[in-house]
This record gives sequence, C-alpha cells and structure tokens, in this order.
Amino acid sequence: MSSLLNKRLARSLWRTKLRLSAVILMVFVGVFAGITVGGYAYNLASMYDTMQADDEGGANLADLWIDNRSAAWTPEEVNSFCSALETAWDSSTVTQSLDSCEGRTVTQGAMFHSNDTGEHIINSLWHGIPDGANADRVWMPKGHSEGRPAVASDEIVIDAHVTEALELSLGDTVSIGAGNATADFTLVGMGYHPLHVFMTPEGTLFPPESGEYVVGYLSDVGMARLTSEVIGTSNIILLDVEETPSFDLPDTAEYEGEEIDAVKALVDASLVESELDARVRDRGQNEPVEFMRQDLEGTERTTLPFTVMIASIAAITIVLSLQRLVQSQAKEIAVLRTLGVKRSSLITGYLAAPLVIGGIGCALGALAGPMGMNGMLDFYENLVGVPIVERTVPSSVIISVIGSTMLVVFLSGAFPAWKASHLDPLVVLSGQNEMRVGSNLLQNLTSWMPTTLGLSIRSSVRKPIRLTMTFIAVGISLMLFGSIQMMSAGLQDTFIGSLENDQTWDRQVYIMPEAEGPVVDWADSNGASYEMIIEMPLGSVTDGDGIDRAITLVGLDLFEDGMRTVSVTHGDTPAGNSAITQVMMDEGSMNFLDWQVSDQRTVNINGVEQDVEIVGISTAELARTMYFLRDDLSGILGVNATSIYLELPLGIEVDSALGEASVGIVERQTLLSGINSLLDQQTQIFQTMMYLGLLFTVVVMFNTMIMNVAERDFELATLRVLGASIGSLGTMFLFESLLIGIIGGIVGILFAYAGAVGLAAEFSSWQIFVPVTIVPSVAWQLMSGVILIAVAMTPFGVWRLHRMDLIEKIKDLSN
Amino acid sequence: MNKLLQMDNLERYYETPAGVVKALDGVSFEIYEGERVILLGPSGSGKTTLLNCLSALDSPTGGEYTFMTNQKEGMDTVPRNNSEKMTSFRRENIGYVFQFFNLLQDLTVLENILLIQELAGKKDPFRAKELLKLVGLEAEINRFPGEISGGQQQRVAIARSIAKRPTLLLGDELTGNLDTETSNKVMEVLVSACNQENITSVFVTHDEDLVKYATRVIRIDSGKIVSDEQTKNDSSE
Repeated sequence: MSSLLNKRLARSLWRTKLRLSAVILMVFVGVFAGITVGGYAYNLASMYDTMQADDEGGANLADLWIDNRSAAWTPEEVNSFCSALETAWDSSTVTQSLDSCEGRTVTQGAMFHSNDTGEHIINSLWHGIPDGANADRVWMPKGHSEGRPAVASDEIVIDAHVTEALELSLGDTVSIGAGNATADFTLVGMGYHPLHVFMTPEGTLFPPESGEYVVGYLSDVGMARLTSEVIGTSNIILLDVEETPSFDLPDTAEYEGEEIDAVKALVDASLVESELDARVRDRGQNEPVEFMRQDLEGTERTTLPFTVMIASIAAITIVLSLQRLVQSQAKEIAVLRTLGVKRSSLITGYLAAPLVIGGIGCALGALAGPMGMNGMLDFYENLVGVPIVERTVPSSVIISVIGSTMLVVFLSGAFPAWKASHLDPLVVLSGQNEMRVGSNLLQNLTSWMPTTLGLSIRSSVRKPIRLTMTFIAVGISLMLFGSIQMMSAGLQDTFIGSLENDQTWDRQVYIMPEAEGPVVDWADSNGASYEMIIEMPLGSVTDGDGIDRAITLVGLDLFEDGMRTVSVTHGDTPAGNSAITQVMMDEGSMNFLDWQVSDQRTVNINGVEQDVEIVGISTAELARTMYFLRDDLSGILGVNATSIYLELPLGIEVDSALGEASVGIVERQTLLSGINSLLDQQTQIFQTMMYLGLLFTVVVMFNTMIMNVAERDFELATLRVLGASIGSLGTMFLFESLLIGIIGGIVGILFAYAGAVGLAAEFSSWQIFVPVTIVPSVAWQLMSGVILIAVAMTPFGVWRLHRMDLIEKIKDLSN
Repeated sequence: MNKLLQMDNLERYYETPAGVVKALDGVSFEIYEGERVILLGPSGSGKTTLLNCLSALDSPTGGEYTFMTNQKEGMDTVPRNNSEKMTSFRRENIGYVFQFFNLLQDLTVLENILLIQELAGKKDPFRAKELLKLVGLEAEINRFPGEISGGQQQRVAIARSIAKRPTLLLGDELTGNLDTETSNKVMEVLVSACNQENITSVFVTHDEDLVKYATRVIRIDSGKIVSDEQTKNDSSE
C-alpha cells in the first residue's frame, strides 16, 4: 500500500516537472556553490601553509619584523641586538626557542626596462637575502618556478608575478637602481615570496597593473653591491621562533597575542640595550601577511553565509511548492484518509519526496562542485599570480555542505508533510477548505478602484504567507546579487572618485631620506609643479582593548588646495604651531578606535611616544591613516619627505635623470588603473554569486507566478466563460506582476543594502575599511530588474489562458 | 415572437482511442425570444455538449448554428474554432449560471456583479444594486460569498449572469447543488428575473421537477433530440 502511495505521489510530482526542476536546480546550485567556495578556501589555506612552511619546500615566514626605514644598522649593531636578545631569551620564561635572528636590507628602487615601447622606469622593491637564510626566503615550488635563488653579487631572482609581463628569461641581464646607484644583474631565478603574494607597493592595497611594480630578490652580497654598503648592513631584522607563537588577529574581538607579546617584551628590552629605535611587527601587524590571512578568512567566512542563503531560497521554494502540491491533492488525500489510509503512510511519502529531490540536487552539485572549485582556483592563479601547487577535493567540505543542505531540505518538507497527513477528510470533501471569506481591510482599501484592478490586488495578496516567503526569497536572492553590486559601487565611488577628482598630481616620485634636492631641481628645470609629502606606515595606536594597531602617517603641506586634497567629513584640517600636534584621522580609524574629534591621544611613531590632538575626520581611505602637517611630522620623524608629487607641463615626460634621482616613480593613471582592476577583480570573484542571485530571483518569482496562476484556474475559467477576454485577464496579470515587482524591488533593495552592510562589516578590519554608500543607479537597477522579471512572467499567465480547455474546466467546475 | 437562434443538423464528434464518439448527431431546432427552454436527458446524452455549443464554449464539428446578434442585419453564424471570437460572442450575448455558483471569493456580492459589467464595458452600479434587489439580496451587497448561504450565492450568480443584459441565459444543473426548497426559490427568482429583463433562457438539468418553470422542454438522448414540446407555461400559443 505504502509503495503505491509513494508511486502516486511521485507521479503527482512528475506532473509539476517545471517546479520540480526549479527546486532541484536550487539545491544543485546551493551544493555546487558550497563545494566550490569551500574547496577553494580549503586549497587556498593549504597553499598558504605550504608557502609559509618552515621546511625545504616553504619560504619560512618570519614571526617578527623589526625595522627602521629612516636608518640603516651596521652588521655590528644587528649582531649586538641579536646577542642581547639571545641572552634575554635564555633567562626568560618563553618556552619556544629562537630559531633565527637575521638582518636584511629591503629597499625601494627602480628597474630600468627597455622594450618595443621604449625605456621604462619601474617602481621596485629589492630584498637582500643571504645564502642560507632561515626566514622569509624566496618560495620556488617545483614545476611552478624556474632557476634558483641568487647567491653571487651579480645574481637576481625576479618575482614570477612580473617576469612574463616584462618578457624576462633566465640569463637575461636586468638593470636596477636604489637611490643614486644602479647596477646590472643576471636573472637566475623566478620565484615567489610570502610577503608579496599580492603585488602591491608598501603602504597601498592596490596592485598596479602587471609589470608596473617589480620585486626582486638579491643575495646579501648583491644588495651590498647595489647600495654600496657593507655586507650585512640592515634596515630590518627578522625573528623566527620555533613553531608559530600566537599573535593577535586584528579582526577578532578577542586578544590572542599573549605568546608573541612575551617575545616582543624581550625584543623591546634588547632594542633599548642595543640603543636601536625600531618598529616591531608581528604577523597580525604586517600588512601583506595580514591582508593575505584576511583574504583567506573572508573566503572561508563567506562560504557558510552564501551556502545558507542559497539553501534558504531552496528551502522556501520547497516549502511553497510542496504546500501547493498538498493543496492541489487535498481531495485525493481526503479520499485516501476516508478509505482508511493511516497518517503515517501519507506522511512518509511527503517526507521522502523532498529528500529524494534534495538527494538528486546534492548528487548533481557534488559532481559539479569540484569543477567549480578548480575553476575558482584557476581564476585565483590568474588573478593573484601564485600557483596552487596541490589541489584536493576536501571530503569534509562535501560532507558538511551536503549534510546541512539535506537537513534544510528535510525540514522544509516536514511542515507540508505534516499538513498533508492532518487534512480533515470531512472538511475537504464538503468543499469547506476551499471556502474562504475575503478580507474586509483589503476590500476597504481597494473598493474605490476599478473592480478588475481591485481583484488583481486582492488576488496578489490572497496568500500573505506565501507572498511574504516569496519576498523573503527574492530578498535573499537580491542580497546575493545586489549587496555585492552595492559594495563594489560604493568602493568604486569612494576610492576612484577620490583619486580621480581630489588628486591632481601626475607622478609620485619616491626618494631616499634627505634626497629631495635632485627631484626638486628636476621639477624646477622642467617647469613642473611639485609638492613634498611624507607617507610612512610607521605609526602605532592602542585601541580600547589595549591592542597596538599599525597606522600610516601622512604629512601634507596643504589639505584643501594641494595636489592631494583630503575630504573632511567632520572637524577641521590640522593647523600648525599648536601646543599639541594636531592631526586628522580617516573615518575607518575613528570607527574602529571609537575616538572623537578633539580627543587628545598618544601615538607611537617609529618607536617614540607622541601626543596628538585629533581635529578632524577624513573620508575615502582604505587604509588606516593619520594626517599631519608635513612640518609637524617632519619634526617628529626627522625626514623632510618620502616622496614628491609632480604636476607635469604638457609635453614633459619622466626621464632617466629623474629615475636615477628617485627610488621609484608611480603614475597616477597607473594607480587608478590598479584600483579599478582590483575592484573589478574583487567583483569578478563574486560575479558567479551575483548571477546566481539573479537566476534565483527569476526562479523564485517564476515559481510563485506559476502557483498564483495555477491555483486560480477556477476563477479564470469562470471569467473566461462569462466572456472575459484574454486581453483583459492579461491586463490583470500585468497589474499583479507590477505590484509584486514593485514590492519585491523595494524588499530587494532593503535586503541588498543590509547585505552590503553585512559584507562590508565582514570584510572590514583594521587593515581595510569598506564603506557602504547607496549608489542610486544600483538601487534603480535592482528595482527595475525585479519589476522586469515580474512583468516578464505575464506572458506565461497569458499562455496558460490560451491553453486552458474551457470545456474541461467547466466539467471540473461541475464536479 | 422573433427567432433568436437556429441549429441545423449540428454535429459534435470526438475522436477517441475507442473510435468516434457522436456527442451531438444532427441536432436541429430553433429558439425564439422569451422562451425558457429546459434540456432534459440522462447522463452522457449530449445535453451539456449542446449547452457548450450554444454558449460557443465548444465548436461543432458539423452543421450550422446562427444567432440573432443584430435585429437589423438578421441571423449571424456563431464563431467557432476561434477562442477570442467565441469569447467575444459570449461576452456580448450570453449569460451563464454554474452549478457551483463560481463566485469570486475575494470580491463582495456587489463587486462580483460589477466585475462582469466592467469586463463587458457596461459598468452600472445602480443596475447591479437593482438586480440584487430583484433576487432579494439587497441587504447582502457588501458581504463576501463565503458569508452567505448556497441558495443566496446562486441568486447572486443569477444576478451576475444577467447584469450585462445578455440575450440568452444558459445554466448547467444550476440547482444541482441545492435542496428542493432552495431550488424552487432560486428558479422562481430566475423566472422572475428573465421575465422582467426579457431574457431567453436554456437550462440543462436531469431534474424533471424543473419542467414546471419551462415554456418548452427538449429531451435528448445519444446525441439526438427525442422530443421537443411546449409546456402549459408557454403563453405564446
């Protein structure tokens, strides 16, 4: 009996093939997306682990970076510090051992590169890595890199991100510079570095276009040759501790940095003992490392919400579809109950149906998921330029995605199943279940309208629960689609708008300390306007939880009429000659720190405490920034400028004289392209999700429209028999579609905004502040999109009317 | 009396896996203005098919069916095999009463009538209320169908069917869902309304008791007319 009942149910379901396919599609997409994103995050994590590992194949990422960019330490100073540290370590309670304490030179510079389009001076960064170094080595995975590390004084390894764009091959000679010195090197390898997974110059999060920024890895002897310094001269000291001491994760409320703090205390004491001023950063404070970690965390964090959102849409569709099925089968169920079929026999089938449907969707999703995962990993490789050496389809991800999806599917089938088994045969067979009393409220609200319009509105809201669920599903779908669009548009609007409209410089020329003279002379002799700035990521502030946060210090001469205008949202720009140094901070910093304008705070600048008064808040900064008047910052740091903005007269181009006077030149247009390309890339990563959201909106609306039309066969047939033309009924459908579309659009915008705020909060951290602004064009796009989808469903209703067999319907109406 | 419609040798055949079924097999008759015709016959006799052809819900497979759509121009052929033309014919000429009333649950009693007027382009709230008064439901105009009895619902359906002033009113087992007492009340209302509005009517039933409300009874069996008689209610003789 039970198998026959289930066969009956299966055949009934088969009659609603279209809706059945929609549900299977949604479950499929949910599982597919879950496995794709989950697998992607899993493999990405494993790639980072491999790259950072302290073994033969890894680069052994350091645990602490101690640096001072305005000074260079002699080998003796470095040795003195390391000895002091080792001594302090031995007598400390730190349980992990110190694996290495190594001095390095990392310096900005330029590459002089010639190709078909002429000679180019490319902004660069050079690392001097001794042969046999322990920490922060070049990562050269087998099969994904070429050559070997640089050993001799004329050898160089160029980061593999750019070798293809620059058309470099092993054995090529490259000409590079740092400060006023230039030298030729032979290319002996192409590899990667854990601090340069994302190829962005220090202090910015925006990668220039491929080939516009170069990172190279020399040996220590090569660096000495380039900088004309003694071998072992360093501006950074790397510490590698046994295992990885826990460090604070800036994006969490908890404090996890106890282990590294113990090490830092030893470092601070040793710095004092060695009479060195330096900034000390752990992994959480080193921007490239933290950015990489947060990128991975972000991916992992978005896996669950995206999967849950998709599963929720599928669940709503399943509930609505099964409810409709139960409703349409009410008489059959009532007859079966009258004939003595047990509730448990009925409920089994209705419970099993969604599991079978979900099972098919899950199986298809599990089959296609690895393809999606590989596609996303390929995309990552192309986008970031780092190889994913090993790829595995993690069974834990598959099990958790399928398990949670099936649970959602089962739960969504439970209510309709319960309802089916609890139908009262007497009520159903007497037709009482189909009798209902219209709403007086709706009648009052719509009584002034033409009756056809009133009927349209009342029909649309006849099933308020279904309609609400539909709007929730549409809202979630548009949350997927619209929130990403809103966030991207907000970012684009804020950052591009700022760089495009508020900044007027053509080139930013980076210089060594006290080396502004030649650049200023070059500007004067070429009729270029110039403006000196100081921009250094050397600040540190303590937040409400007592955690030190790194902050970029910017010194400008002019805030409102300069080449880099700063938008002030609250307060004023800093003024000179004040008792306490006045500063302005970006809104992200102020939000995170919960500081107010006119607060007086103490900040750590390059290892020295400094009191400041916050007089204003600026907007449109991705990184945390504190603005000073340049004279004030110069007085604190002892540096006049770190770079010079140039406005070039028409016809004047950057030449090799300027290149030699600088340690790197950035073109504003290149920076703009970089930001644009980064935002585009971020959007592309989520594009699949966006279009899935759009697809879901179509499916959800279509499902509801089908049900709305299908369950109104009775009244539509009546109206047709009474002489209503297809045109007039089509107009009614159109009204209904417009109504649902408009409400759906408004709900969609609200959900999308909420989603954008949620996403921004998810992606925002001390390192990156993501503002959300409603860009009207996006809101209109969402609204018109939903209305268009709703209205596009009208022809379906009209098509059904055309197909309606009035004779058969009349028979049904008489039974 | 003027002739309202005429059927000549009307056929409605259905192709089925078991062969051709002749639901109507050469039916011929004329109906004159003001007549109240009852079609009687056993199940499967073809009476509902005949009603469907009369209302242009169904297209005959053979024969002629003409209708006086315009007194000056004479009889017109009723459209067939064209859904929109058939709908238009129904809208302009036919009123229809269903066995299960088929009122729209979301509209009030009055609005159910206004809707049909609106669809026919003849919205007239005054007439709608007058019709409800005619069927004895003036007190119920703002109530929903779910709030009134079956007999009352059928009376609303009658008011609805004549609201657009159809030339011909059709009904299929329109008292089939009502008890005898309510059936009689509904039929009395119907007769009164048709007389007052000068509407010709044709009703399908298997209930011999309803013959007392007819001016003419056509009996049908196996798709053929077996008798066609005037009743004592016929005042034309």
